[in-house]
Amino acid sequence: MGLTPLQLFLQQLANGATLGAIYALIALGYSMIYGVVQLINFAHGEIFVVGAYLALSVALLLAPFALPWWAVLAACGLGAMAGCALLGLLIERTAYRPLRRAPRLNALITAIGLSFVLQNALMLAYGATDRMVPPLIPSVRWNLGGVSVTLIQAVIWASSAGLMGLLQAIVMHTKLGTAMRATAQDATACRLLGIPVDRVIAVTFAIGSALAAFGGILYSLYYGSINFHDGYLTGLKAFTAAVLGGIGNIPGAMVGGLILGLLEGLGAGYLSAQWKNAFAFIVLVVMLLFKPRGLLGERVAERA
Amino acid sequence: MVYGLTAALLTAGCGVHESSTVSIGFVAPLTGDQAPYGEDMRNGAQLAVEQANARGEVIPGYRLALYALDDQRSPTQAVAAAKKLVADPDVVAVVGNLNSSCTMPASAVYHEARLLQISPVSSNPQISRQGFDTFYRTCATDDLQGPAAALFAVKDLKARRIFILDDMTTYGRGLANEFEQKARKLGAEVLGHEGITQGDKEFAPLLTKVKALKPDLLYFAGMFPEGALLIKQRADIGMGGLFLGGDGIFDPVLIDLATPQAAEGVYLTTIGSDIRAVPSAREFLHAYEERFGPVGAYSAYAYEATSIAIEAIRRASKKDRAAVLAAMKTITDYPGIFGSQNFDRNGDTLIKDIGIFTVKAGRFSFIKTATWD
Repeated sequence: MGLTPLQLFLQQLANGATLGAIYALIALGYSMIYGVVQLINFAHGEIFVVGAYLALSVALLLAPFALPWWAVLAACGLGAMAGCALLGLLIERTAYRPLRRAPRLNALITAIGLSFVLQNALMLAYGATDRMVPPLIPSVRWNLGGVSVTLIQAVIWASSAGLMGLLQAIVMHTKLGTAMRATAQDATACRLLGIPVDRVIAVTFAIGSALAAFGGILYSLYYGSINFHDGYLTGLKAFTAAVLGGIGNIPGAMVGGLILGLLEGLGAGYLSAQWKNAFAFIVLVVMLLFKPRGLLGERVAERA
Repeated sequence: MVYGLTAALLTAGCGVHESSTVSIGFVAPLTGDQAPYGEDMRNGAQLAVEQANARGEVIPGYRLALYALDDQRSPTQAVAAAKKLVADPDVVAVVGNLNSSCTMPASAVYHEARLLQISPVSSNPQISRQGFDTFYRTCATDDLQGPAAALFAVKDLKARRIFILDDMTTYGRGLANEFEQKARKLGAEVLGHEGITQGDKEFAPLLTKVKALKPDLLYFAGMFPEGALLIKQRADIGMGGLFLGGDGIFDPVLIDLATPQAAEGVYLTTIGSDIRAVPSAREFLHAYEERFGPVGAYSAYAYEATSIAIEAIRRASKKDRAAVLAAMKTITDYPGIFGSQNFDRNGDTLIKDIGIFTVKAGRFSFIKTATWD
């Protein structure tokens, strides 16, 4: 079966969009947290891996009960997201809140240190070798007009789109979201108005971490394995996506993640696989030359 | 504090007397994605040391020990580990490494220190052509494996249109180039030859591009973590044609990672024939499985290399690197598990079998011993 150039292009878009959706989920956490506390949370990439490992643990616990795959997947999702939300709260409370009034660099160094701590804790807890992730999602493949799509890709697209929609709704249409946006604009003024800024920040960490955990589950299911240091490069890519979209901006993080995934996919597909990272980063540099605030970064007041 | 001081004094005190241990260094990836290979190898080496100790003292008055270090498949770590072993006066021989890209730079460190190194499975031919008399190895090399794979692909599998991928390491690139040369000579059309990065997980875009070229066969020279993802993602995008890999993907973990459905029908070459078909390996297989469970792809090679190092130490009969190296040069017709071991002047074993396997019902199944001309 041959592929026409159009089919080939659509297939590459599908490939890139899968990776892009995962980048977007992680990028959201970077962007939201930066929005409310102007901190680049370098431990975020590790939270993504913690999520994957927690899901793996839940899956292994449930393995003897022969539940349907979607039930196991939902349990893994809820378990990992709840676990990571708690971890996010814990990190914020113990590591970042005491430094809220310290120079910003202190919190940044703490974030880098936390990243090491989490990475090594994962290595001690789960071992230094790759862990196989059981294929929770059945291996189903459709051929849509010559473009091959798998069930897991469909799950990745649908669930990440759903979660991002939900997040957007929370941020734009709830009291909590309004408080988040207000905190992003001016935390001091919020305090004066009686908005519980510390609680808003804590909730932002919890939501961001839960999204990263979900990204981690999708990532580990898509590739079939997880390693304690997988968070490093993926975290870096997601951070890049957040910057690309305009850090602090929620739709920006989604768009940035998607674009980065597509760039890597198209770069590997049409240019060279060994240069795909270089290709993606060159585009980032060029884009930042023209739009230093990122693609959607103009609306500074809207960040949250 | 007082306790620490006492401990320090005690340790210092011990250093005055010569240690009663003689060690064989061992280096392979023991953490990271290739750790399953490294563990299998360490078990093989460990078994050889335990058996030697059970038979009595290798050098009178000394206990033989294995000193295992982790190179994390990184050339930098391999050199660091080599320097650590060189600095340890107990170490008189080294077994390692796994990856040719690690063995290559480490071999220079061992040569400089006049320390015997036996690599169980690093198959890049250049390593033994550096003129290092400290270097030996117990496997066939890629200037045989590559052509044997090409011959099998073109003559047996009737592949006419071939796409080649490698992992850009010393091993992968070297093997892929040997394969490409022979495949072209045999009249196959090479549609392309591209590199991937070790540790990368996303190959769908690359495979989609390859799929559009409609090759009969995709050849991959690299290791099993990337090999497994290539096989899995190849199935995910519905790519047809055959898949042939090198010995780097010969690990049962490959089939689990790739999923048994996607791995079914994958072909691969190995740097040695089917260990289960070699009569002299039966005793080893039994002992290994009793001690550690199922034998890994490279366990037997590590066992063989370690046993030969032990024989050299036994012949030297003293804890002295120069004596062990000199003794190694006298070893001929060593009764190893792969047969009677002899080494050429580069230190390469004269047992040069290339095996061909396929994945059948979720397991590696031996097809035949290959030829390369």
